Amino acid sequence: MSANAAVYEQNRRSFLSSLYSFREALPGLLAMLFIAVFANNLPGVPNPLTLENLFYWLDGVIGPLNHQPFSKIMNSNFVWNPLLLGLLIANIFGVPDAWKRGLSYIHMLMPLGIIMLAPHFMIFHAFKLGAAPIVLCLASLFITASLTLLLARWLKLDDRQGSIIAGGLSTGDPHVCAILMPLIKAKGGQVVNSLAGIIVFGLLAMNLLPLLGSWLELPEKYFGLAAVLGVGNGHQALYAAFDLGYEAGRYAQWFDVGRHVVMPAGFLYVFIVMFIRQRRYQSDPTVLATRGINQFPLWLGVFIFLWVLAALHLFKEPAHHAVFNLVKWDFSLAAGALGLSLSWRDIGAWGFKGFLVTCIAGLIRIVLLLAAIAVCVKTGLLAV
Amino acid sequence: MELNPRTTDPQGFDYMANSGREEQDRDTCGLILALILVLSLTALQYLGLY
Repeated sequence: MSANAAVYEQNRRSFLSSLYSFREALPGLLAMLFIAVFANNLPGVPNPLTLENLFYWLDGVIGPLNHQPFSKIMNSNFVWNPLLLGLLIANIFGVPDAWKRGLSYIHMLMPLGIIMLAPHFMIFHAFKLGAAPIVLCLASLFITASLTLLLARWLKLDDRQGSIIAGGLSTGDPHVCAILMPLIKAKGGQVVNSLAGIIVFGLLAMNLLPLLGSWLELPEKYFGLAAVLGVGNGHQALYAAFDLGYEAGRYAQWFDVGRHVVMPAGFLYVFIVMFIRQRRYQSDPTVLATRGINQFPLWLGVFIFLWVLAALHLFKEPAHHAVFNLVKWDFSLAAGALGLSLSWRDIGAWGFKGFLVTCIAGLIRIVLLLAAIAVCVKTGLLAV
Repeated sequence: MELNPRTTDPQGFDYMANSGREEQDRDTCGLILALILVLSLTALQYLGLY
């Protein structure tokens, strides 16, 4: 037990002791608040001077790229904007000691935000797609995650980084890199390094996929599905689809719900695989992912329970949107604290091996995906 | 273990460290707050208050 853990145990009165005193936590909380409200257009905050609005203005100058804003292609969103702002502040001005108790609230905000995400994934939204596209979405998710974890193992990549890449790449949603951080016990530098690798791979994939789609003469409708499942983030997928054709772009928007609603299955799968591995190889010093987690986290069980309730349509539309607005607040605050914790060196120290794993896994996924869709179209499983 | 000066204060408190009892307590706080928010917003809707 570290000296600080011993001090905490000694002074602990109840679980609320982890919030410290208001006087200790206030400076850090204010730092997170100001980073969040100057990074994002958060619900309830009429602040026009945000990084989000600056990117929006720059997108207007650059102009749309295959109907997509450049900043969105580069993954600007409510998680990565505050992270970037925190990163800039920390690397230019440093982090005052007075902020650090308050910034530790990141560890409360992560489970809080992940649990509140559950009502966002309403499975019935995907029923309109039909069985075959949903099966393809699920197959792509589990095969990509398993493939990435295996490649990371073969190439001797740190298993925490391999897990983060597996989650982000398989779900087509780089938010998952951050969601998996507390579950995998990954370092902040690994998360941002992995995210950068996934985004750069996405830039390559969004230009490669339309060439392959044209060569295979895939129907535009199902190229939309291939784009949704085979690129890096949502806007990169739409870029690829609109690059092939307008119909493909429209169908990518139609099929995206299939990828989106099964997303929790991706990060749960990666966590469960790595957790079982950690319990099985407890004495192996190279097994670092989920190290320190000795039992299935209760809060993750609550997330699964709420996800099931969402599937049963318990959360109606207005409540689900209100809860998601709170998720935006939560992750904006947490991402600010994460950004403040990192130096450029922390991110660069993990090197390019993660990017190599991302590229190999991503390219194999594209080949398998296009082959599967081509076979399904030929056999009539996917009706043209 | 080497301390990260960016995340560690002079008392040795590292805000990115999260383990043991402190981690369980933070998880409990997050879990309770999440349940309060999700359930109260859902209940408010079912009660027709928005």
